[in-house]
Amino acid sequence: MKASEAVASFDSATGMLRALSRFLAGRDIPALGKFPAAFEPPLSGLLGTLNRLPIAARERAYAVSGWAEAIPQRRVGDVRSEALAEWVTGHYPRRRYPVIFIGSANGALIHLAAALDAAWLPQTLLLPVRRRGITPDDPRGDLAAVGESGRALLAANPDLVLHHMHDPNQDRLMIAGMTYFRIKWRRLPAAYRRFIRDHLVPGGLLVCVDCTLSWPTTRIDDRYVFQFGALGDATPEEYRQGGPRVADLLSRYGAPVRRWDPPAADGESPEAEWGLDPALLDDLRAFTGQHRLDTQLLRFDTPQRLSPAVADLYRSWYADRGLPTGRLLVESFLLLEPWWTLRTGSVPYWTVFGTEASRASLEAYLDASDPYDEIRILLFNHGTESIGLADAQDWRRTAARARKIGVLTGVDAVAYPRDFASFVRSHRELSRIRTRYPLPLPLDAAGAAATLSARDDILWRPVH
Amino acid sequence: MQEITVAVSGRPMVAWRIAGRKPPVVCVHGAGVSSREFQPFVEVLGRRHDAWTVDLPGFGASAGPRHPLGLRALADALVEWLTAVDLDQVVLLGGSLGCQVAVDAAARHPDRIAGLVLVGPTVDPAARSFLHQLLRWMRNAPHEQASMAPLNLADYRDAGARRIVGTFAEALRDRIEDKLPHVVMPTLVVRGAQDRMVPQEWAEEVTRLLPAGRLAVVEKSGHMVPYRQAHALAGLVTDFLTHAFPAAGAGGMSGQRRSAR
Repeated sequence: MKASEAVASFDSATGMLRALSRFLAGRDIPALGKFPAAFEPPLSGLLGTLNRLPIAARERAYAVSGWAEAIPQRRVGDVRSEALAEWVTGHYPRRRYPVIFIGSANGALIHLAAALDAAWLPQTLLLPVRRRGITPDDPRGDLAAVGESGRALLAANPDLVLHHMHDPNQDRLMIAGMTYFRIKWRRLPAAYRRFIRDHLVPGGLLVCVDCTLSWPTTRIDDRYVFQFGALGDATPEEYRQGGPRVADLLSRYGAPVRRWDPPAADGESPEAEWGLDPALLDDLRAFTGQHRLDTQLLRFDTPQRLSPAVADLYRSWYADRGLPTGRLLVESFLLLEPWWTLRTGSVPYWTVFGTEASRASLEAYLDASDPYDEIRILLFNHGTESIGLADAQDWRRTAARARKIGVLTGVDAVAYPRDFASFVRSHRELSRIRTRYPLPLPLDAAGAAATLSARDDILWRPVH
Repeated sequence: MQEITVAVSGRPMVAWRIAGRKPPVVCVHGAGVSSREFQPFVEVLGRRHDAWTVDLPGFGASAGPRHPLGLRALADALVEWLTAVDLDQVVLLGGSLGCQVAVDAAARHPDRIAGLVLVGPTVDPAARSFLHQLLRWMRNAPHEQASMAPLNLADYRDAGARRIVGTFAEALRDRIEDKLPHVVMPTLVVRGAQDRMVPQEWAEEVTRLLPAGRLAVVEKSGHMVPYRQAHALAGLVTDFLTHAFPAAGAGGMSGQRRSAR
């Protein structure tokens, strides 16, 4: 089956891949890169009209849009790892890159790659799989319903590990009619090897991105783990043991239970969406040794960790170029705009999600930084009032810390987090900012590595 | 609310006032209209602050020369009026074209003006033509309150077609963006979230050009924020005055200097 049909379109890795590859082709990302810019005004109007539907209808629309993207269970065994890898590398313009990143998905990393004129090859992709008759609050039922499909996928693809993920908190609407299969390459696929050989500048740098975040999992098979819950505001303990916030969520959504009953965890695994499976690093080490490539490791403990580091890197880069350094763009999940970030001279600060934890990290960054004149905040709409989600007014208060202009960009505060039009509106509003700057020459990778590795919480070192 | 009339350049200029705490806030109306649209706002702001609204020469109840005054002359008349009513260190609150008058006054008389509030500042250079402005005005109209229409009609009758057209042409000629970097006093820029005359990117540009500007967006309002969202705007102005002039709030009532009519 075609890889483009199997991979989720509205996922972090896919969104980041689209954002970076379009940037490297000299383009921005209207409508998340899914539609041409000319479609933006009618799309914005149409989706804005959908926002007037009752909440239940909008939630249903979210669930249906997810289901429509997913592949039928009977076709999961037709997915081929090599086709997925070719689909990834096919995004990038056919030229040489001074740096190629490979590994964990991360929004701040996308800005780092944009600054270095680098490509990024993800270790993880999301394959959404349709299934019926299971409620989001029945993780055991989900596992039983699609376990065979997972085994079929692995039997056909010996280089993949399957992280079957079930998050009835943040993905509540999406998993009503589908299952999240996150696949991770434990060996370098041939398409990645070819891409590195053909597109890395001679003497260029290969950097393995290692987010060491882990999560409790249940081992189903040798290469198959089940992850219940995911990184957000709720803790692994809340997912497994329940608590007031879980009971409140379930009550708000009319669930018959007040806590979940997932399969017992029997270990920890790299987090399904963000964590790196270190098996890939071993294979990469062998490959780069064979080809005598300069290989380095960029390691951090949680996705948010890279954001302040990359923001500071951009700020000092702007200062070196003699540009103003007072404009901050706060991005959210897959709402990323590396092209407009640089064109508007904005310092990028990526947040994992719209949670209170993400907002607290941003506040801590602002506490530790020189004040910004302008703060714009994009908010990703996932349709669910999940545990610990900060509302639009909370984010507006954070934006108001700007000295001059503190705004939510592309956000309908009343409709958030069920605002269909935000995917289109955030790009439209960003592209209207009037003070702009030319795109700069890329940053030097050695300088960026030195800046990042000087921080206590980030490791950037050669791979031995 | 007191009605206060003083002579400026030999012609009566009319203002309305509710006395309160310093600094005095003087509302300056837009093209073709008058104090009428500001009076509900002044009534709210006047509960806490010394609030004024004045008719520029030739508009509302103020007499004007036969020929419409240029923007600079309107600003000079405003500053002369400040002298006539013995007001100093005021905060000018402009609406629409009133922002252009206020900015011109502040740029040339910085010693008289303590701060500015620019509500829906015109004219966006990206739409500096009669046709563009007309289209924007039409797109904005559904976001205004219908009850404002009779006030507008009364204002248009008072000003006359010649003065309205002349002032509008003057607004288009004025380059507010050239003056904003020279406005040194604290300035609050306010935009209605549905204002089609003043798009968000222009309101941001205005704020950016001001050395001490800050932007606030008022939800559920078109261009005429003072009429549509009087309480929300009064809240923003109070916050602005509290932060920009912390010492002034302790001051007493500014004295009444002219007999009420």
